[in-house]
Amino acid sequence: MGLRLSIAIMAGKVTAIVSRIMGWKGSSLPGLVARKIYPRVLEELGKQPRLGVVIVTGTNGKTTTNNMLACMVSGSGYKILLNSEGANLITGVTAGFIKAASIKGKTNCDYALLEVDEASFPRVVNEVMPKVVIVTNFFRDQLDRYGELDTTISFVQKSLNGLMGNKKVTDQGVQLVLNADDPLVAQFQRKTGWPAVYYGLSGSGRVFSAGSYSREAKFCPFCGEALIYAYYHYSQLGLYNCPGCSYRRPDPDVEVSHLQSLPDGTDCLVRYSGGSTMLHIPTGGFYNVYNALAAFTAGQLLKLDPAQAAAALRQFSPAIGRMERFSYRGKPVMLNLVKNPTGFNESLSAVLSVPGQKDLFIAINDNDADGRDISWLWDVDFEILEDNHQSFGSFICSGQRAEEMAVRLKYAGVPGEKIFVAGDLGQAISRVLEGQGSFVYLLSTYTALWPVQKILLNQAEKGELDAHRMSSVS
Amino acid sequence: MLTVCHLYPDLLNLYGDRGNVMAFVRRCRWRNIPVQVKEVNIGETLDFAEVDFLFLGGGSDREQTLLNKDLTSRTAGLREAIEDGLVLLAICGGYQMLGRYYRTHEGEEIPGLGILDLYTEAGARRLIGNVAVEMLLDNITVKVTGFENHSGQTFLGDVSPLGKVLAGFGNNGRDKQEGARYKNVFCSYLHGPLLPKNTVLADYLITLAMRRRGISGDLQPLEDALEERANAVMLERLLKNTG
Repeated sequence: MGLRLSIAIMAGKVTAIVSRIMGWKGSSLPGLVARKIYPRVLEELGKQPRLGVVIVTGTNGKTTTNNMLACMVSGSGYKILLNSEGANLITGVTAGFIKAASIKGKTNCDYALLEVDEASFPRVVNEVMPKVVIVTNFFRDQLDRYGELDTTISFVQKSLNGLMGNKKVTDQGVQLVLNADDPLVAQFQRKTGWPAVYYGLSGSGRVFSAGSYSREAKFCPFCGEALIYAYYHYSQLGLYNCPGCSYRRPDPDVEVSHLQSLPDGTDCLVRYSGGSTMLHIPTGGFYNVYNALAAFTAGQLLKLDPAQAAAALRQFSPAIGRMERFSYRGKPVMLNLVKNPTGFNESLSAVLSVPGQKDLFIAINDNDADGRDISWLWDVDFEILEDNHQSFGSFICSGQRAEEMAVRLKYAGVPGEKIFVAGDLGQAISRVLEGQGSFVYLLSTYTALWPVQKILLNQAEKGELDAHRMSSVS
Repeated sequence: MLTVCHLYPDLLNLYGDRGNVMAFVRRCRWRNIPVQVKEVNIGETLDFAEVDFLFLGGGSDREQTLLNKDLTSRTAGLREAIEDGLVLLAICGGYQMLGRYYRTHEGEEIPGLGILDLYTEAGARRLIGNVAVEMLLDNITVKVTGFENHSGQTFLGDVSPLGKVLAGFGNNGRDKQEGARYKNVFCSYLHGPLLPKNTVLADYLITLAMRRRGISGDLQPLEDALEERANAVMLERLLKNTG
């Protein structure tokens, strides 16, 4: 089948070139084309990474966790292969391999690091055997596409179960890297039988009890009793135990404590078996501590030197729209992706933690990739703005559903005279950049992200950190 | 003082449903109508006679199973309050539960509360998308928009539909009917949520709740330009698409 593999790879590479010339964003099209020509292309290429394949899945933080891990692994001297950010369906994963492969069908890498959408996870692991699977968290996301959260979780769980009987895994097995603080994730060890390493945040990290409306796991996944929490970090993440059975938050093998927010990111102490080290995470946002911790824990399984991994993480810079920094006439400007209530709540709390007057831009689209149903905006705790609106000069709503975003803010208690609707992204961005505040924050759903970034690049300057920005593929 | 009750807010709050409660409450407060919100969960006591506006949202199958017993134990009180004119908004799962039964794909009939003469059957595909519905509220024709996402198909017996489907699927994708109306009970598949951008409906529910308390007269008008634009933008998009 060597010839067919070569033709498939060649066709994929040509498609990638054509896509680029045409200015298409379709980073998964090469994978689609190659799979049509040779359906086993991913299976063939997927067994080549010399030291194995690592998969990151879960609702939030896939891209960032994978890119952070890539920093640590390549910083430790290994050659890696990645699928490009957001291209996390099976076609995008295939495209990542094709990009790295020679025409003869050789990928020449030590590790493949893949971010994989939860719904695509069963198909991907059916073709590519992972050595390590990282599960970040489970939140309600795009219900119109996936149905209910339980369905999404069972996709992942069942396919992990399925690997048990798979002949290809018998010698090495799969190791899970699980978020101990999320009861929906921590259940996987017992439900699948695979060995797991847990990561989590110590109670001294941050105790935050808002966001109760978007909490997903109120009930024990084993016996159905209501879980009891000593504290929440955010959403359903926290210290929980079940009064009905023995299920409780597992003790983390790798744990973060002593968090300190800095202007350029977060410092914290990470404890692992055999020692501890300081981590500097060069991007803000509490959830990025979890992402860094997941990546660091996976790095431990890959036997990376902890100090070297920590040093490599300093070089990390966020991908498009993940706390991406710009500046406009000396004023800091941040762009962040929002796609579900939990992520939005975290973004709001990140904005509120910055002192001084701000202007906030929110772009909501409802294309397929954003989720056609925007009802989730009503599960975001915008009510926090009712008491904090004084620190905002203006709220500018844009995108295809600009008006509905504005209605949401109004019913949250934001004064009407501070809410502006500008469906046109260019006008809306000019307006927010010209705001009176000393800080500009832009939140955008997925399909508005590239247009927003493009406009920003024309009007504002890229932040310094991004000089080291790691390209996601190659 | 009006009393709003969100029944099972922990369990029946699948698609930003709480927005309906927020809209009802905010629109009362903006008019200085005193209003309080009660959240009632499984096992907690509730006297329906004290409630002016009851909200029942949608939930996933697992969540609906959990509360079934609790809700069933409240049936008699709820039925009595409904006959007495209780204003109730039931969305999606809450709507289905008020009916006679839900028949699953396997043919099993899960009994509902049997308060409204309607039944639901699992359909072959999920009915998902934006919806526009025309309804008649106090002799005013109103175009309402929302989003639907349900696999159950509902068929009405001796109750009226809430409105006529202009775009989207509605109750079952066949008879162009959406929702159900019985006395002051309003059932709908439209989440999105329904009340914030359909202010005429929101205000109609407030008016009905006040009338039942013996307070008559018109509601003081509010500045609703944002809400009206949100509604108009979606209507324009949907009605253009259907030709």
